Amino acid sequence: MIAVVPAPGATRPRYGGTLRVEVRESIETADPPQTGRGMADLGDAFTITRWEAGRLAVYSANDNAPGGRPYVDTVEIQMARPAREEAIDLDLGKTDVVELGINELRRPATGRKTWISAPVRLVALVFGSRVADARVREALALAVDRSAIHNVLLQKQGEISAALLPQWITGYAFLFPTAVDINRARALAAAAPPSARVFSIGVENAGLRPIAERLALNARDAGLAVTVGATGSADAKLVEVRIEFDEPARALAAVARALGLPEPAHADTPEASLAAERALLDGFRVIPLFHLPDVYGAGPRVKGGPGITPLGAWHFGDLWVEGNRP
Amino acid sequence: MTLRTRLLVMFTVVVVATVALVEVLVARTTRGAFERVENQRVIDLVAQFRREFARRGDEIVRAVNGIAASDTATGIALAPDPAANYNEAATMAAAQGLDLLELVSGDGAIISSAEWPARFGYREEWLAGTTGWKSRGAFLRREELPDGVALALVAVGETRAGDRTLYVAGGQRLDRGFLSTLVLPAGMRVLLYRNLEPRLSAGQLIDANGAIPQATQFLPLIGEALRAPREMTQTLGSGITSEVFHVLPLTGATNNVLGLLLIGSSRAELVELEAFLRYTAVALGAGGILVGIVLAWWATARVTRPVRSLALSAGKVAAGNWDTTVEIQSKDEVGQLALAFNRMTRELAAQRERLLQAERVAAWRELARRLAHELKNPLFPLQITVENMQRAREQYPQEFDEVFREGTATLIAELGNLKQIIARFSDFAKMPAPEMQAVDLNELALHTVKLFEPQFAQAGINSVTDFDQALPRVPADPEQMTRALRNLVLNAIDAMPGGGTLTIRTRVRETGALLEISDTGQGLTPEECERLFTPYYTTKTHGTGLGLAIVQSVISDHRGRISVESQPGKGTTFRIELAREISR
Repeated sequence: MIAVVPAPGATRPRYGGTLRVEVRESIETADPPQTGRGMADLGDAFTITRWEAGRLAVYSANDNAPGGRPYVDTVEIQMARPAREEAIDLDLGKTDVVELGINELRRPATGRKTWISAPVRLVALVFGSRVADARVREALALAVDRSAIHNVLLQKQGEISAALLPQWITGYAFLFPTAVDINRARALAAAAPPSARVFSIGVENAGLRPIAERLALNARDAGLAVTVGATGSADAKLVEVRIEFDEPARALAAVARALGLPEPAHADTPEASLAAERALLDGFRVIPLFHLPDVYGAGPRVKGGPGITPLGAWHFGDLWVEGNRP
Repeated sequence: MTLRTRLLVMFTVVVVATVALVEVLVARTTRGAFERVENQRVIDLVAQFRREFARRGDEIVRAVNGIAASDTATGIALAPDPAANYNEAATMAAAQGLDLLELVSGDGAIISSAEWPARFGYREEWLAGTTGWKSRGAFLRREELPDGVALALVAVGETRAGDRTLYVAGGQRLDRGFLSTLVLPAGMRVLLYRNLEPRLSAGQLIDANGAIPQATQFLPLIGEALRAPREMTQTLGSGITSEVFHVLPLTGATNNVLGLLLIGSSRAELVELEAFLRYTAVALGAGGILVGIVLAWWATARVTRPVRSLALSAGKVAAGNWDTTVEIQSKDEVGQLALAFNRMTRELAAQRERLLQAERVAAWRELARRLAHELKNPLFPLQITVENMQRAREQYPQEFDEVFREGTATLIAELGNLKQIIARFSDFAKMPAPEMQAVDLNELALHTVKLFEPQFAQAGINSVTDFDQALPRVPADPEQMTRALRNLVLNAIDAMPGGGTLTIRTRVRETGALLEISDTGQGLTPEECERLFTPYYTTKTHGTGLGLAIVQSVISDHRGRISVESQPGKGTTFRIELAREISR
């Protein structure tokens, strides 16, 4: 499921040219990545020709690619670009493809195409061992107003969820309740000792900080004293985990592994998968909040596409850039 | 205490009292003036704070109304999805220099909050439930923020777009930043207590630099001001660290006390000034006292010098220096006194000279009488003997030899008497200087008494000794002193021809030793006592009248003093006082 906003006046595919991409990530390894999302996805259609760790990567079209030669000759990737500058570069035509954050999505832009993947990033609150009282964890889970965050902070991007796996993969995510029950949350918090009601939430990604602030505010309504800070010594962490697989059992196992949860029981049926997921979430060690999509913006020069798969993988082989030979 | 000392003390007391009075008056006047200035400074600062407060309020009202009147606010009010504007408040607040800004929908839900972005969707019931914000101006409000509770000066504006209302609530925190903008005179500071917690909290007291150390010392004053909200003044601390605090309650929209402004004025300047005045006064006082003492010394010396000179001269006159005169340095009362003194001494000297001449004549007459008397007695036998011898040679030649032998024997005997008389006179004239040594008067007196025991027995005299064993040794010539004692004992024996009691008594005196020789004889008349030590004066039918004169001479040579006490029929007592040391 990929939403594509087509640019008016589509043209015939053209060969040649350079597709300019900007990413926020900075890969500092000596060699280009071979696994994961992003540049590793270019491996079949393109060949790395230039690598400047943390700064620049240039991929050239592979004439012998399994799906045929890509239209563009090269893909030039600028790394470590701030989100705001990415959006500006896209608006100014200095780049062709960028990642878009929530704030950038809110800004109107003419001629820009938006590629949105399926919700493949799980945003969840993971408690450390210091928050030992399950009543406190459950109180926060019941106090979180996911709808407000989804409407305002996420601008309705992605899905509200209390499940580890998104609805589009499992079909049962809606069975995990997301409603706010502030009274029960207060009762649970009040039952916990005062010292247990104080803890901190760490945020790895600055983009998640507004969500963490709102969680702290919701926690305050429940009678908990929550502060937001860096992850170093935090009692809980607001994390983002990528769903790597669209097959429920594998996806659940991978997510559990990423969140530090026990290995789930192997499930062949939806019921077994649901039970396995419920077992993982029992005890509120992890509070799933949202499933978010990958969002990219493509400039008016970029044609074809979409440039990403439903799981958010790069698929630049079918893209061409306007102004080159047909 | 001498006249000079008394005058000096009097002058000194006057100087010290004057300096102290001046210091007290200056200190009191200065303190009063300083406190008036200080009070005025506090009044000015309170007025300045009120002006600043009002100015800030006006600024905030203008900023908030500006936002409320903007197209952006109208757009937000009309926006179908308020979620799209949740970041707007921060931008607007930054543009208008506001610390706090909330955009609130007509139903009271927060659309966007600059100070607490996460509060979108929460309700501000206080806003929605009240009307007429525009006329209310700026007011104090307790604001909850992510990092705690804050005191803020806020204003509310309203944007009306169709049937929709958007509240714009913005303001500035009343915190150290606000305090730092107040211009304070030197020595003054402003503290702000934010009454945001149920209990008094020292942490809520700040100044322009943030939390203040030792804030707990202000809590009693703060508590008092909160219990009965009113402006009040109190002094905290002591000495150079003391401060006068004027407390100004800061009330909110509902007249509730949300804060206290403590305007402190350091008393260090006053204390230092007082100390300076005190030290200066002490220094000037000490100098004044010193100068006063010197001047008093000089003045009293000037005043008392003639008096002292007169006293000295009088002392000299008393000591026998009859030629003493004083220098007349002025024509005032003291000068007239000196003139009279000089006239008196001149007259005294003249009288003394006449008296001496009379006494000298009397002495010569007495000497002549005594010599005549003494010499007449041996001369008469000599004359008789010579006449017998002449008569025997002429009338009884056969008996001449016998008469001659008897006559020459008598002549020789009487000539011996004459020589003895002349020797005694010669002895008196040639009293040698005493050879001093430490002498035990008790021992000397006892020895003398023992010498005369046979005479006492023969004369029926009972001798009694009453010696003070603590008697110190005194410097004396033992031979001369023994001679004096013998003369006194002999005198006593002569005074008791019918027997009696002779008592020798010694006593310790502060200056030396006292020796008394008392008899129970017939005693002396006052006139006899006066002339008793006159040479050649005697009340006896025998003797030369030199015995007591010799005694007086010996005692005088020892720098001692001899006196006599006697009444007719009650005996006589001679008292000899000798000093421990011989004064030169």
